[in-house]
Amino acid sequence: MRDATTATLRRWPRAAVFRSIRGRLLFSILLVAIPIYAGALYMSYQATQSRLEDRAERDADELAARLAAGMDAVIRPIEGGIRTVAAQLEEIDPPRSQYPARIRGILAAWPDVYGSTIAVETGGSGASTQPVAPYLFRRADAIAYSDLALDSYAYRELPWYRRAADSRQPVWSLPYFDAGGGETWMVTYSVPFFRKVPDDGRVLAGVVTADLDLRWLRKTAGSVPLGPAGMGWLASPQAAQTLVTPIGATADRINNFDTALDTEAIRHAGEQMLARKVTLTLLPPDVSAQPAYLAVRNLQTLDWRLMLLLPQAELLADAHALLRRQLWLGAAGLAVLIAAISLVAAAISRPVHALADAVGTASEDNLAFRLPDWQRRDELGVLTDALRRMRDSLQKHIRLRAESLAAEARLEYELQIAASIQQSMLPKNQSAAVPAAVQVAAALLPAKQVGGDLYDYFDSGEHLLFAIADVSDKGIPAALCMARLSALLKMLAVTDPSPDRLLRELNVRFEQDNDACMFVTLGCGLLNVRTGKVLYASAGHEPPLLRARDGTVRQMDVENGPAIGIESVALYPLVETYLAPGDTLVVFTDGVTEAAAQDGSQFGTDRLAALLSDSGDGAPDALVRRIVAAIAANGFRASDDLTVLAISLSPSTVTAHQTELGTNWHMELEISPAGVAQAQLWLRAILAARDVTPDQISEVELIAEELLTNVVRALQTRGGAGGLSLDCAVTPAELVLTVRDDGPQFDPLAHKSPELDSPIDDRDVGGLGIVIVRRLADRCRYARVDGRNVMEIRLHRTRN
Amino acid sequence: MPLKIVVEPSDPSTIALVGRLDSTTAPELDAVLDRVLGSSGKARLAFDLSQLEYISSAGVRCIVRARKAIEPRGGKVAVLNPQPPVRKVLDIVKAIPHGSIFKDVAELDDYLDAMQKKVRDGE
Repeated sequence: MRDATTATLRRWPRAAVFRSIRGRLLFSILLVAIPIYAGALYMSYQATQSRLEDRAERDADELAARLAAGMDAVIRPIEGGIRTVAAQLEEIDPPRSQYPARIRGILAAWPDVYGSTIAVETGGSGASTQPVAPYLFRRADAIAYSDLALDSYAYRELPWYRRAADSRQPVWSLPYFDAGGGETWMVTYSVPFFRKVPDDGRVLAGVVTADLDLRWLRKTAGSVPLGPAGMGWLASPQAAQTLVTPIGATADRINNFDTALDTEAIRHAGEQMLARKVTLTLLPPDVSAQPAYLAVRNLQTLDWRLMLLLPQAELLADAHALLRRQLWLGAAGLAVLIAAISLVAAAISRPVHALADAVGTASEDNLAFRLPDWQRRDELGVLTDALRRMRDSLQKHIRLRAESLAAEARLEYELQIAASIQQSMLPKNQSAAVPAAVQVAAALLPAKQVGGDLYDYFDSGEHLLFAIADVSDKGIPAALCMARLSALLKMLAVTDPSPDRLLRELNVRFEQDNDACMFVTLGCGLLNVRTGKVLYASAGHEPPLLRARDGTVRQMDVENGPAIGIESVALYPLVETYLAPGDTLVVFTDGVTEAAAQDGSQFGTDRLAALLSDSGDGAPDALVRRIVAAIAANGFRASDDLTVLAISLSPSTVTAHQTELGTNWHMELEISPAGVAQAQLWLRAILAARDVTPDQISEVELIAEELLTNVVRALQTRGGAGGLSLDCAVTPAELVLTVRDDGPQFDPLAHKSPELDSPIDDRDVGGLGIVIVRRLADRCRYARVDGRNVMEIRLHRTRN
Repeated sequence: MPLKIVVEPSDPSTIALVGRLDSTTAPELDAVLDRVLGSSGKARLAFDLSQLEYISSAGVRCIVRARKAIEPRGGKVAVLNPQPPVRKVLDIVKAIPHGSIFKDVAELDDYLDAMQKKVRDGE
């Protein structure tokens, strides 16, 4: 049943009535109830109708019988009376002269009798041979006398006499029209009377009669109550003319009958019924167009037929009225049923609806929905309680979550502050913090808010101390460890900035309180700003990359000591290299080289080196920006803290530029021994950074000193004004020094060399410098160009 | 790189030069030589150059001046154990005769003893 309903409901999903429990309950119950109800009603109708029909038929039958009995009851006394007289005559055998008195007695006793006679039997064993038949009858208000024996009224041959005499039984005559007498239709009751004879026989003595005016019969019949429906007649048995007398209100009712009635056909049908001994039948349509019943009875007295015609509709009117009442009751009952179901459904669904309303508003934003506060123990109560518990529990969870989110937000906030503290621990990129001849740029990108990377640099006299460190972790623990390291580094660098000793001491101090067993890789360098010399020591850190002015990148040759914090005592070898002006030193943490792309490949040292090489110039800030951008742009994501520090030496008076052959450094020199000394330092830095052999470096220094010292001396005699520059070009094959000064023309090569072989007393002390220069150089040339002395020295590069 | 001038108290005629002898540092040596040579004539003066890394013409001039001050009076200026770069420069300018270059003081003294003996024997 439920499936059928559900299937039905699926076809009508939009009908609003089916959205509620009430509607569906109503629909499904009515879907069952109405057919059952209608079926029951129909069956009841059918049963009731047939029963009522039976009853009606029976009633009709009984009515006919009753009516017949009623008629008989009226007629029978008359019969009785006449038979009494006959019996008296038989008993008493009064003299014939008393006959009129007796007859008068009859008339007096029964006012309905019109006339009566006592006719004597003359033949046979009759007492008298003389016919005697006094006849008394009513005329106007008096009794009239007629003697039937007079004239040739052979009364003995008349039917009224003959029939009774022959049958020796009382007998009613057929109706006849009494022409000479009452001038009306009559029936006569003839009762034979007898006389006893000695041999115990009885012989006919005569016949007593009573004439009944049929008008009386008509009147009697007309007054018989017919009942509320139907029409009836009395009909005489078949004769030359059948007299039919309507009963009761039949005469009026015939007029009201729908169709014309053929009374003769009806009478005929009645006779047939009597012949078949059927008392009630439904008339066929050819007899009565309107369906009607015919009930027929035979009167016991008169041998007349009593016929009752009852239209079926009237007969069944009661039944139909009853049925209609039933139908109305049924409909009313159904309406009550619907109302009751509706109420019940509403009663069920209202709380469900209320619950649905209350909870239906629940959403992500509104969890404080109101629940009905009934105290039910049915399923709705269980549901409501469960919902209540759930809602309260949800609210509690949301509150707890909000608290935890607030705590997280606070933590996030503190981490942001920690990050900014950590940022502020890094050296600010102010030009005052570094020596003038040094350019520094750096970037530190922690993987989380705070990280375990560190870089530092600070001005230490004419040195720049720089350091880069990577704690073996990231996040808060690493940041704390790094803060400690940073403080130690700054403190120790003040007393002894030499990287090897610095790392050794740092390791000792750090390892002492290193309960968390963190280790740190650290690279530390000291750059002498004047000489370009870099002292470097490393504790397990990736070696720095050195970018030459011409773009070639090489890795510094570093021998690593152990990471800080592992060994309680460790030694860190010191490495020495030179940074030529225009060169850049880059230190970084493995967050750079190990930055992973989506395909799993790492950024790598080679890619970093290539990037440094491709950069237009070696300016540190450009390099750092390019490195950071390259990591981000290529989809590399740093899973570790990422730090890079780039340092370049760029004294203001030295410029380096590329030529087709190599790099050329142009130095503007101070016209003083200090300027010469500085030139020597730069030369050493340039040549050492380019892997010129130490001996050749010394030779170049010597050449430079000799040439420059002479020039300085010459210029200083003029007051020290003027310009002096030294160019040093380094190619793979040779070194070229070019000294330019704007003093007065002077070609040192043109002067006569001193005699070196003279005895000591005669030895000339001067001019030795040029001798040295000439001997050490592979080529010397002098030219005077644009008002300047230009001295060019070439040396072939020696290989080790 | 500065110059360190070490005069052995036990052997005042040996001056050890450490570092660089160039136009910047030569005046220091000049000052010391003035002091050393200003006193009574020295018979010998030895420059211990084993720890001298660098010499320029200014430094050579110091040595030559020292020779000019001592050798005409019969003294000797010797150079001990010069490093190859320094030796090269000395050779270029012929600052000091090969015979005056010794490995160490002992060798110099042996030589001087031998010379004296020769002189004594030759007389």
